[in-house]
Amino acid sequence: MTTTEETPRLPFTRADALAIAPDYAALRRRAPVSRVLTPAGDPAWLVTSYEEAKEVFRDRRFGRSHPAPEQASRISYAALQDGPSGDFETEERDHKRMRRMLAPAFSAPRMRALGDHIAELTDRCLDDMEAAREANPGEAVDLTDFLAFPLPVLVICELLGVPYADREHFRGLSERIAVMDGGEDAQAAMAEFMAYMTKLADAKRADPQPDVISDMVAFQAEDPAFTDEDLARMGAGLLFAGHETTSTRIAMGTLFLLADTARRDRFAADPDGQVNQTVEEILRLTATSGTGLLRYAHEDVEIAGTRIMRGDAVLIAGDAANRDASVFADPDGFDPDRTPNVHLAFGTGAHVCIGANLARTELRTVFPKLFRRFPGLRLAVGIDEIPVRTNRVAGGVERVPVEW
Amino acid sequence: MKISVDTQSCVSSGQCVLLAPETFDQNEDDGTVVLLAAEPPSGEEDAVRQAELTCPAAAIRLSGA
Repeated sequence: MTTTEETPRLPFTRADALAIAPDYAALRRRAPVSRVLTPAGDPAWLVTSYEEAKEVFRDRRFGRSHPAPEQASRISYAALQDGPSGDFETEERDHKRMRRMLAPAFSAPRMRALGDHIAELTDRCLDDMEAAREANPGEAVDLTDFLAFPLPVLVICELLGVPYADREHFRGLSERIAVMDGGEDAQAAMAEFMAYMTKLADAKRADPQPDVISDMVAFQAEDPAFTDEDLARMGAGLLFAGHETTSTRIAMGTLFLLADTARRDRFAADPDGQVNQTVEEILRLTATSGTGLLRYAHEDVEIAGTRIMRGDAVLIAGDAANRDASVFADPDGFDPDRTPNVHLAFGTGAHVCIGANLARTELRTVFPKLFRRFPGLRLAVGIDEIPVRTNRVAGGVERVPVEW
Repeated sequence: MKISVDTQSCVSSGQCVLLAPETFDQNEDDGTVVLLAAEPPSGEEDAVRQAELTCPAAAIRLSGA
């Protein structure tokens, strides 16, 4: 590539929690796929347009493994989405096995059956939030501490069979593995996380329960090619992804709804009627990743006229694709009436988020309950005072101080 | 509107089932799509259209819509 301009380096800086960096749209205006440097300083392709993002997500010539892992571009110094994962020769088979093993536990009928229980857990979180406010009426309450963190953790703990009492332990580990310049500490935290999951798997082996870790243990007994390490890594991945991403959506969804009083009032006036569309719009707009989702080309591929060579790293910026003006009119505007709203918040294709139905069930429960309980909920600080976690793989905000 | 599904390309995301539970279900064993009705029950037409658009595997086809 011949250019005199400096190659842009991720992560880009955004103005506030609700915005995405203007760099994405600037790159997209020139081409759907651009050359960038990863946070680790290595070259990668960044996909910023909707059609091409969808194309790469669905194209099986892109995977998570690499034909020569030691030569692969590094994305960051976190302990996940940092570089290649899995075995190049067996990735597709391994991935299918994983989906087959987990899909039933995350199916829509199971999630529907879990709905009433999620509603109860939400009520409990809101009770605690109300009590905290009453105990200290002059103080704002942090929605992250009372709702956005504990609810998804309660739910994923039950689903996986992880003791809720261990939450501070794996909360700390989850934070450390996802720090983009974490380096040795991120690796140490991942090792600890996997040791924790191994111990838990041993307990389930001795005393199986109706939960996902017991399912994985049972599956392993049938297929020894699924190693203890595979099981531990997958368990840690599910626990991380199962709470971190939904926590962020609850926190940022609340920010979107509170950023405009008319928007909040409209939702609070008819939460049940508005919720499904509102949740989809929250999913579309919440920017949760500093780098986008990682793939490596398994052969030479041409995307929108750009030749991507075997082994090249490709980062799919879903946050940017979801604000592509060629698909979404007024792409930065919050509009729950958008229809259709075919966003890529869960990705698409073979690797589509396995927890999409779980996340939707939680989000559709949380927002109506939150705004029925506190219709006058408001932010205690300005949007620009909400600290964004830019050096985390899954993004997010530090806190959401609220009053009512 | 006639619906057909391709269980070979289905990736078991179950997003169609959450959208249109009277039309789609998921296989208990592997989570792949099960078609409950060749035509959407009344009231579920829009949800079925949405399911076609959002299917991660493009495994849902509608004809005569």
